[in-house]
Amino acid sequence: MRYLIGYTADGRGAEAVALAAALGGPDAHLDIAIVLPESTPFSANYPGGDHGYSSILAEKVDSWAADALALVPVGTSARVVARSVASPAAGLIATAEETGADAIVLGGRKRHVAGFFAPGSVTSSLLHASPVPVAMSTPGAVAALKKAEGKLSRITAFVSNGAAARSVVQAAAAFAAEQSLEVRVVSLVIQELAEVGKTRMRETVARSQEAADAVVADLGVSAEVQVVTGASIDEAIASLDWEDGEIAVVGSSRLARKRRLFLGSTAQRILRTLPVPLLVIPKNYESAPE
Amino acid sequence: MTRETAAKATASQVADSGLGEKGLSKGTVGVLGAVVIGVSCIAPAYTLTAALGPTVAEVGTQVPAIFIAGFLPMLLVALGYRELNNAMPDSGTSFTWATRAFGPWIGWMGGWGLIAATIIVLSNLAAVAVDFFYLLIAQLTGNDAIAELTRNLWVNIPTTLVFIAAACWISYRGMQTTKAFQYGLVAFQLLVLGWFAVAAFSHVNNGTAFDPTPIAMDWFNPMAVPTFGAFAAGVSLSIFIFWGWDVTLTMNEETKNPATVPGRAATLTIVIIMGIYLAISLAVISFAGIGKTGLGVGNPDNQESIFAVLAGPVMGPFAILMSLAILSSSAASLQSTLVSPARTILAMGYYKALPESYAKVSPRFMSPSKATITAGAAAAVFYVVTRLLSENALWDTITALGLMICFYYGVTALACVWYFRRESFDSLRNIVFRFLAPLLGGVILLVMFVKTASDSMDPGYGSGTNIGGLGMVFILGMGVLLLGVAVMIFMRVRQPGFFKGETLKRMK
Repeated sequence: MRYLIGYTADGRGAEAVALAAALGGPDAHLDIAIVLPESTPFSANYPGGDHGYSSILAEKVDSWAADALALVPVGTSARVVARSVASPAAGLIATAEETGADAIVLGGRKRHVAGFFAPGSVTSSLLHASPVPVAMSTPGAVAALKKAEGKLSRITAFVSNGAAARSVVQAAAAFAAEQSLEVRVVSLVIQELAEVGKTRMRETVARSQEAADAVVADLGVSAEVQVVTGASIDEAIASLDWEDGEIAVVGSSRLARKRRLFLGSTAQRILRTLPVPLLVIPKNYESAPE
Repeated sequence: MTRETAAKATASQVADSGLGEKGLSKGTVGVLGAVVIGVSCIAPAYTLTAALGPTVAEVGTQVPAIFIAGFLPMLLVALGYRELNNAMPDSGTSFTWATRAFGPWIGWMGGWGLIAATIIVLSNLAAVAVDFFYLLIAQLTGNDAIAELTRNLWVNIPTTLVFIAAACWISYRGMQTTKAFQYGLVAFQLLVLGWFAVAAFSHVNNGTAFDPTPIAMDWFNPMAVPTFGAFAAGVSLSIFIFWGWDVTLTMNEETKNPATVPGRAATLTIVIIMGIYLAISLAVISFAGIGKTGLGVGNPDNQESIFAVLAGPVMGPFAILMSLAILSSSAASLQSTLVSPARTILAMGYYKALPESYAKVSPRFMSPSKATITAGAAAAVFYVVTRLLSENALWDTITALGLMICFYYGVTALACVWYFRRESFDSLRNIVFRFLAPLLGGVILLVMFVKTASDSMDPGYGSGTNIGGLGMVFILGMGVLLLGVAVMIFMRVRQPGFFKGETLKRMK
């Protein structure tokens, strides 16, 4: 598979490379994208216009490119693509389409103190428009990956009762197949969202288990299915066990346009407490047949 | 596929990124677009409000003559600029050009002159924006007391610092103005300035003007300016009002047709700008006269910002449009002008003429991070110092700015003559564009620089602020240049590589 990395020459960029290398395994190809703002004559910088800036910048980009390639594990094929673009997010999407990327990998959920999910502007626009899956991580999640020596062991797909479950499980299975990883399918049953009394909880849990089992069986995926309950999303997530080399997969919101990403509120809340990297799948996404 | 080695990958990466060439979108700008860019770089609403008062103070009614005379050295220097730009398209500006032609010392001071001029204009732009910001709020709320807030230093200085900080933040984030924004801004400015001129003349016609002064032919006669000192001061001020025009001439591969577009755009821009300058200066003087009382343009209280005083009496309730035009044009210029010193500082850091950390580029926003913040901070410091020392800070900064522009333009023009010295007489074209024009332009500007600098030692010069009997303009102008010399010597001791020609070679 091909991965497009939205690279910046800082800690985030290094995290993105580490995540992409883990997600893809040794056989993957990494396209490391450095996007630069397009300079238009209408930005009207005066006096003196360019001041030799673009040649200095180009040299800077070259040295960043060399640094980025040095981060790629030995044996993995990689190259750097630099592009001048009108907007970074749109530029990444265009580059992903051009290179035929199977996923865009980003380094940054914003580093923050309180643990709230506050994506930067680029991440945020990608999460609302990308036609291919978007993977991202936190410094903590990357640290967990490092403990597993940068290798994934399991992929966990979050599903709900609905048609979206199918494409999420399918995408998770496709990524897992690359490196023969285990797949776990987790269905969350949240009391405050389900709006049901305790007596009917058991019924809801059973229905969720059934639905998830059906999807897994239908796709012919060998996966462990787990239904997790909790009073809130945070509580449910906390009750899950995570391996160090694990990645979570969620689908887009029902609000998303077809074949586009749109991060829903449940996914956003999952993100808040998730200790592992996350891969978000566009609506109706079908992974390319290998 | 195996992983390419770092070195190989870097080479192929550059080849396909195309960044080695200029990152400008090629061939998209037509004549109209280039005119818009030129007018927006000149920012006529801002330059007129800032420079008209001080120019009248120097040359009286001969303002139109001085504007025309001031354009001549600008034209000559810009022609030289165009030659340098074509010969060294990637290396940018005064700093690199002058270093290549004259070696590291003069090159360093050329770069410093450009940085100083832009830092001074930044502080002036921010101050003008703040004046009109409060004036606009006063006009919106109908409460005149708010417009007076800008005279309170405790309000004025913090607000100005906020404006500079905002511009700094926008530049640091690498945000740029768009085409539609530029078109809108330029059209709005020209419309409002035209309106002002028409309204002023109709007051004169109806006998409702403050001090109706009939237009006389000698307003256009530069010889009628009483002294050479006044003439020199007037010319160095009018260099400032055309500052930006040369951008139309130096535009090249970004135009649809480099052979015709820059020339036509430059001509059309100067016709528009000259038209609007003459209309406004004639309108202002006919309406208000050059008396030293009331609305008179000669009144020292009106020097800082002529439109702040006259827009109300001339345009009535529509004066609010003038405030809006000047606020928007000066705020936009504040942001776009900040890019220029930041990039020169970056280039100086890159060639090790300044500490290397100034060459830092933000990996997220692709902007010169440390250089941008330094430029903003310098503008803020300059403004605070001037505001605290001078009774009439804007007036003195504009005069000091004219001085600084004369200096670095003059140096750059002579750099052009020297750079091309071996081919100066190869063809008639070279004689005119690579020798005569820049030589004449450079000499005129440096003469203006020396004359204005020596006159400005007089304690009565400019706004009349002085320290120990030395005029404020002289202290500001020379202080900034001497500071440059000190920093240059410090850098020579700390980091001699640049001065030995190790990073940027002098053309032999």
